[in-house]
Amino acid sequence: MTSPSFRDMEILSEYLDGQLSPSERTRLEKRIQMDQTLAAALKELRQTRGLLRRMPQRRAPRNFTLTARMAGIRPPVPRLVPVFSWASAVAMVLFIFTLGTSLVGRLSFGAAAPRLAAAPGGFGGGPAAAATMAPANAAPATMEPAPLRTIDQAVQETPTTEAFAKSVPEATPPTAAQEIQPPSALKAPQKTFNPWLFIWPGLGVLLGILALLVWGLNQRAFQRKNRRG
Amino acid sequence: MDEPALILQAQHGDLEAFNSLVLAYQDALYNTALRILNDEDLAADAVQEAFLSALRALNSYRGGSFRAWLLRTVTNACYDELRRKKRRPTTPLEPETADGDEVESPRWLADPNASPEESLDQAELEHAIQHCLENLPTDFRAVVVLADIQGLDYIEVATAMKKPLGTIKSRLARARLRLRECLQGFRELLPAAFRLEEESSL
Repeated sequence: MTSPSFRDMEILSEYLDGQLSPSERTRLEKRIQMDQTLAAALKELRQTRGLLRRMPQRRAPRNFTLTARMAGIRPPVPRLVPVFSWASAVAMVLFIFTLGTSLVGRLSFGAAAPRLAAAPGGFGGGPAAAATMAPANAAPATMEPAPLRTIDQAVQETPTTEAFAKSVPEATPPTAAQEIQPPSALKAPQKTFNPWLFIWPGLGVLLGILALLVWGLNQRAFQRKNRRG
Repeated sequence: MDEPALILQAQHGDLEAFNSLVLAYQDALYNTALRILNDEDLAADAVQEAFLSALRALNSYRGGSFRAWLLRTVTNACYDELRRKKRRPTTPLEPETADGDEVESPRWLADPNASPEESLDQAELEHAIQHCLENLPTDFRAVVVLADIQGLDYIEVATAMKKPLGTIKSRLARARLRLRECLQGFRELLPAAFRLEEESSL
């Protein structure tokens, strides 16, 4: 009596599971009747399989149901949301730009105020509204008397409101330097370089671009995730 | 449970339908993972991972046994866990000899106070079989767990393992042979169980 070959054990295993054809099954059953080792091997295989089938089935320790978050599913997005997203980005650019330009305006007027306050006696730093109106009236007036005056005359004269309006462009006090300069030179201080004029709008645009970029990346990441899913 | 309808709904993004399938199959997946990994926490992680993978790959399901398809995802998750475990080895539960060989019948299974005639209760039987399963190569273990513990037929096991039918037959025979040899060491401890099976027919 020799122990069954592995091929025989394979056939016995298939026989146990009912995987043999009727002819193979009949042939094997005849062999089992004649060969005690085959019969013993079949019995042991059946016992082994029986033990495995007796393994207790455990209940799952918890429910493994998935939440929308776990599944990476977002709630349906209304159609107008993308439009709103773009609009919010554009609005932010406009807001910052407006804020910036407004601040630039305030900064420049704020700079003019001390000059007005320092205007020679009598005027006493009048209302800001008057000061802001001054350049419009003064600009053509300065063309006539200013170049004709001498330094001494300018110093000796006590300026009145009327004279001030005529002689002081942009509500600045008549200084000696201004008096001797030609009219074209008097406008020079208005063109001084103000960096905020560029920084604020630039910052606004930059932030706006950043917001759009973040939004775009967000959208792309979500689409990629959906495609993968 | 109308399984095909639920699968179809889940494929169209209905998470509730998918969760109905999860509830129907979570025990089968958990038991499979538990027998392959022999660790409750790792098994639970593998099952959760398997259901997530199944949801992502649901559109690749093209009919056939859905149970086998799901069991494939959990088998893959178990292989991933075993690979991770291999990268970060821990102290084995089985005692080893001075040469580093595993002791075939560890002391924790042989109770010196218990008489040979005393039958093992269900927990001890489970420990003995689990110990023998642990000694099998992973592929053999997965096949025998799916076929003999989960009761899948050969075609379902072939689907779950993504292997040809011939490979499944051969691995199952080898796994049963090895288990038989291993369980020989516990034969005296398991007479009742063996007797019960002896009386059963084909």
